[in-house]
Amino acid sequence: MSILTTEDLTRRVGEPKAVSGLSVPPRVTPDNDRRPILAVSNLSKGFGKVTAVDAINFEVFEGEIFGLVGLNGAGKTTTMLILSSLLNPDSGNATLCGYDVVKEKDSVRRSIGFVFEEEAVDIYLTGKQNLDFAARMYSLPKQEREKRVAEVLKTVGLEQHANAKVRDYSGGMLRRLEIARGMLTSPKVLLLDEPTIGLDVQTRRYLWDYLRRVNKEMGATVLLATSYLEEADYLCNRIAILHEGKIVALNTPEALKGSIGENLITLKVSKGSQEEFAELLIGENLVMPELSKGPQEEFAELLREMPWAKSVESHDGALVLSLMDKSIGIPEIVRLAKTHGFSISSIKSSTPNLNDVLLHYVKKSVEEHDG
Amino acid sequence: MEVQEVTHKPLFEGEPIYSMWLRELIRFSAMRSRILATFASPLIWLLFLGIPLSQIFASGGASQSVPGGLPFFAFIVPGIVSMGLLFGGTNSGVTVLWDKEFGFLKEVMVAPVRRTSLMIGRSLGALTIALIQALATIGIALILGTWLGFRIISVAGFFLAMGFMIITFFAFVGFGLTLGALIENTEGFMTIVRMLEFPMFFLSGALLPLTVIKGIPVLYQLQFINPLTYGVDGVRGLLTGVFLLPAWLDLTVIVAFALLFLFLGAYAFSRMEVD
Repeated sequence: MSILTTEDLTRRVGEPKAVSGLSVPPRVTPDNDRRPILAVSNLSKGFGKVTAVDAINFEVFEGEIFGLVGLNGAGKTTTMLILSSLLNPDSGNATLCGYDVVKEKDSVRRSIGFVFEEEAVDIYLTGKQNLDFAARMYSLPKQEREKRVAEVLKTVGLEQHANAKVRDYSGGMLRRLEIARGMLTSPKVLLLDEPTIGLDVQTRRYLWDYLRRVNKEMGATVLLATSYLEEADYLCNRIAILHEGKIVALNTPEALKGSIGENLITLKVSKGSQEEFAELLIGENLVMPELSKGPQEEFAELLREMPWAKSVESHDGALVLSLMDKSIGIPEIVRLAKTHGFSISSIKSSTPNLNDVLLHYVKKSVEEHDG
Repeated sequence: MEVQEVTHKPLFEGEPIYSMWLRELIRFSAMRSRILATFASPLIWLLFLGIPLSQIFASGGASQSVPGGLPFFAFIVPGIVSMGLLFGGTNSGVTVLWDKEFGFLKEVMVAPVRRTSLMIGRSLGALTIALIQALATIGIALILGTWLGFRIISVAGFFLAMGFMIITFFAFVGFGLTLGALIENTEGFMTIVRMLEFPMFFLSGALLPLTVIKGIPVLYQLQFINPLTYGVDGVRGLLTGVFLLPAWLDLTVIVAFALLFLFLGAYAFSRMEVD
């Protein structure tokens, strides 16, 4: 049969180089990187009655750092295990470098590096022995093996500790060793499951910069599962937010933040409004202003009518106003309050971060589910 | 259209098998307590159980029970050797699943290597350690045997016994793997394994002649459905020249048991997923 199917073509193009060619990573040029290196369609997986992954679809392009974020139990790890061919999905399918993750497990495994959330190194061996051992699993020739082990040890800055037993490593050194192991075969796709969990700020920053270098210099596509939103924000080109096994949002970090408004204004309306003042005069105001359906709610309604208000939500006794337009800020809000006889007791302006985004989409997903 | 695997793995994956074997040995030599236990354990059994038990038989009454006119100490040595094979083999089989649980194995499962190659390499490592222990036991026994009457009948017998030990060991690796696959949770897992291992050891003719409990038919019969009985008898026969059961029966049973459980264990292992 000499007919080439699209699948064949994808496979040829995406085929990882043979072992001897591992040291020559593919070049990533931004112009022609619109080829999905990872394609996931309708993927589902359940454990007993729990649906861990629920019919998800997404594509990751060559050279990208793609983030899977979500709360604990959102289905991140399950997705990663399926994509790495270690777990079979119940339904749907996924291809990595053109290889089917169920039917072509070996080709998938040859194309990836995986850094597990839990420790997956042998603490009774030295750092170097661990890497050497991992390299042997890929049957790398001796010279190639020694070269690669030395290279990755250097890249993660562990060459000084190469011959120390891993049980004596610090948490940061351990993670660096695991990442070194993941990079050992210069994989086309590096899967990282919570790579910086339990690390201090400094070590985390160090690892982030290292991962960026790995992505840029070695051209590895990175799939990152994390519950640290600032990590995803710092590293990822695009992010998928998972909630209860479903993708509830997928875009660039900037677009995601933009989708909940350019500017967030958090404010409290005090009992200085005319109505409130009147109530105070006749001695009926015995409830906390936050709890009364008084001025704060009225002001919220007023704000909702404004064309520049994207959304107004009540949160912890304060109003959270999300704005479409950066030109509207605190002065406009204060002026509006004054004109309508409201008085503001506290107000602050902030730009949305990914934590706001995650909570927003999770809340939205819950509401849709309930509705 | 059926998607075919693009790359073909060799049937025999030398490097991964070798490195799994090497890793077992490095781990073994990295833990001093394990090395110590390898030599101390047979010494303890031989000194503190072998010698006292042989005194009972030496002091008269029960001497007829020792078959083939073998000194009791010589009788018990192959029993202690077989114990090492039973515990070592079963442990090696069941701990494969522990490795999976605690992550050591995850890093190799993500490599493009046959599951069975990992299992073979690992078992060969455990076998090497078990054989070191068996040799240590025999060595210690030979020294003590100058007083207590243990000697190896022939060089050929010794090498045949080693071969028989290897088959017996793999029979219990398969047994351990199968147990590991059947019992999914790791809590209390070792307790269950011990609850199976110890009766197998006690009712195998390793410590006492099979005929001692002839008067209790239920226990007596149980000895003959215990595969270790045939393992012990084979090792003893080849080392000392005294078989209690036909040699061909020992070999047939232990080979059949090894094939059955290795097949079941390999099947369970090859289907194993990381979850």
